[in-house]
Amino acid sequence: MKNNATVKFVQRFRNKEAVLFLIFIGVFAFMSILSPQTFLTMRNLQSMAYQLPEFGIFAIAMMVVIVTGGINLSITFTSALASIVGGLVLATMTTAGISPTLTILAGLGVFILIALACGMVNGFVVATIGITPMLATLGTSTLFEGVCLNITKGGAISGFPDAFLWFGNTAILGIPFPMILFIVVVVVAYYLMERSSFGLKAYMIGCNPTVTAYSGVSVKKVLYGVYLFSAVLCALAGILMSSRYNSAKESYGSSYLLQSVAAAVLGGTDINGGYGKVVGTVLAVMIIQVISSGLNIFGVNRFVINVIMGGILIMVLALNLINTGKKANA
Amino acid sequence: MKLKTKLKQNREFGILGILILVSIIIALNSSAFLTVENLFDMLKGNVVLGIMSLGMLLVLLTGGIDVSVGSMVAAVTVIVGQFLMHVSGNVFLALLVGCAAGTAMGLVNGVLIAKLRIPPIVVTLGTMSIIIGLTLYWTNGTWITGLPKNFIDFGRQTIGSFYQQGDEMIGFPVQILFLVFAAILTWLILKYTLVGRGIYAMGGNRVSAERVGYNLDRITIFLYAYEGFIVGLAGVVHTSIMRQVDPNAFNGFEMQVIAAVVLGGASTLGGYGSVLGTILGVALFTVINNGLILMHIPTFWQKIVVGIVLIASIGFDVVQKRYWDSHTTKVDIEEA
Repeated sequence: MKNNATVKFVQRFRNKEAVLFLIFIGVFAFMSILSPQTFLTMRNLQSMAYQLPEFGIFAIAMMVVIVTGGINLSITFTSALASIVGGLVLATMTTAGISPTLTILAGLGVFILIALACGMVNGFVVATIGITPMLATLGTSTLFEGVCLNITKGGAISGFPDAFLWFGNTAILGIPFPMILFIVVVVVAYYLMERSSFGLKAYMIGCNPTVTAYSGVSVKKVLYGVYLFSAVLCALAGILMSSRYNSAKESYGSSYLLQSVAAAVLGGTDINGGYGKVVGTVLAVMIIQVISSGLNIFGVNRFVINVIMGGILIMVLALNLINTGKKANA
Repeated sequence: MKLKTKLKQNREFGILGILILVSIIIALNSSAFLTVENLFDMLKGNVVLGIMSLGMLLVLLTGGIDVSVGSMVAAVTVIVGQFLMHVSGNVFLALLVGCAAGTAMGLVNGVLIAKLRIPPIVVTLGTMSIIIGLTLYWTNGTWITGLPKNFIDFGRQTIGSFYQQGDEMIGFPVQILFLVFAAILTWLILKYTLVGRGIYAMGGNRVSAERVGYNLDRITIFLYAYEGFIVGLAGVVHTSIMRQVDPNAFNGFEMQVIAAVVLGGASTLGGYGSVLGTILGVALFTVINNGLILMHIPTFWQKIVVGIVLIASIGFDVVQKRYWDSHTTKVDIEEA
């Protein structure tokens, strides 16, 4: 018989999140060894810490919906719509000469309110009407994009108060504010999804909505809640983005849509719903960020980075399959 | 059963009704709508969408989805463009190369979905990223212009010149033939082949289809390969219309294709949809877009209208299905 401690140690690394953590360490070490002068510098780490939060928040916004067996294809345009209307309020109040504190408070409120409205629309279409989430959110995303374009006429909204730039560009005690916000989001998402009855219901819906409904859970209410939570996260990502770019435009962040699906799935979330961990998603986001930043530093063509990302997504899924296949056989 | 078939027949009828209604509204507001020139422009501008929708129909019928079609058609246009520039200007060979390239890419999707059992949306997200990445890396985003003359001449050909425009006689653009070919081929496959019946069976109920003896893996692989083939065809047709290749021309095109098929009444839960409905859906999509332009409504409104129409049409479908389901259950209970 083998040493018990070793067996336990190996077993501990059998779960998906632990494997992801090892992959992250591996990738990080690999990049650091290949290019210690450029990758492992304070500057690069800082720049990654400013980029990662937006992507990470989007990925969690995607993950919470996938857990219920749905998908939210409208996250980027929810964020864009919130940013554009919020940005409009910020810009108008600034030109009107209203005090910056009041302007920013009102602006942030509008960001959240608009996102909540988008979330309500998604919730209505998915939970009340009962359209398949993929198509419902495809439709609403087209709708939100149209509203965005109607407001901006294809341009960008700018002229924010200087104080607003603080959100995306300042570090507190060396930690960038976006990173702090991201950590808060992760903790809130963790408690909401994995430690509350609301979260448990969301996972149950992902496993089997009919059984969940017969268990006395209001599926409709929980779905509304999930889409609203997802929308609020989009608003937060929108605040960070518009602050970093000092403007708001409908196309900002649109590349995050597919990446966030990739991150959620890479993080072990079951695309059919019912399983998914916040930690897993965060680890996947970190892995993707390290790989893309690293390859960027090495001067790899950005289109090739796309190819590698796609390859990783498929490979990880194939490996997952082999793993579960083994377990089923054993 | 009789009631259900009646309902199904009604669905295409309903779309046709909406199409006619929308057309009448637009025609009353714009005299330019019902002119032969405008109708031909609409036809030529949406042949590619029509062809690609037919491939997507098969995928949606089984309850799958393919978001890689936009990148696939971009890759096909680049491959065909390079082939025409550097190998041969022969139209038939270009068609062959385009379809082969499309089929190969579709085959990869199909094998990954069937053999690795990864959900279609994830597989096609991955292949989309790979295909568009490779295409843009290869071309660096630059256009291919100056295609061989005989290919350009081919693209300008018309059939049955019956209408006079200035000094010129114009007829149907040659590209319409490809749409007709794709529609008939898809209809034949769905109606008369074992695979086609299997596609409906699989969309209706996977488990039952497997128990009846359909090889679902083989059907899945065929389905995505066929879609690749259709995309290849569409790529060549697109190149012949535009007479140049822009690798970025199809960004986000997959959403339009899916929207058109759904508008045509295909159930996204799988199991229901028809070639006729899809063609009507594409026509409706086309007419709405064209009408908005003709009525001088800012282009920004287009997305809003398409989004609302999409949600409304699926929503209506879902609500209707729920009504019928509850209705039929009631009947069963009463009979029992």
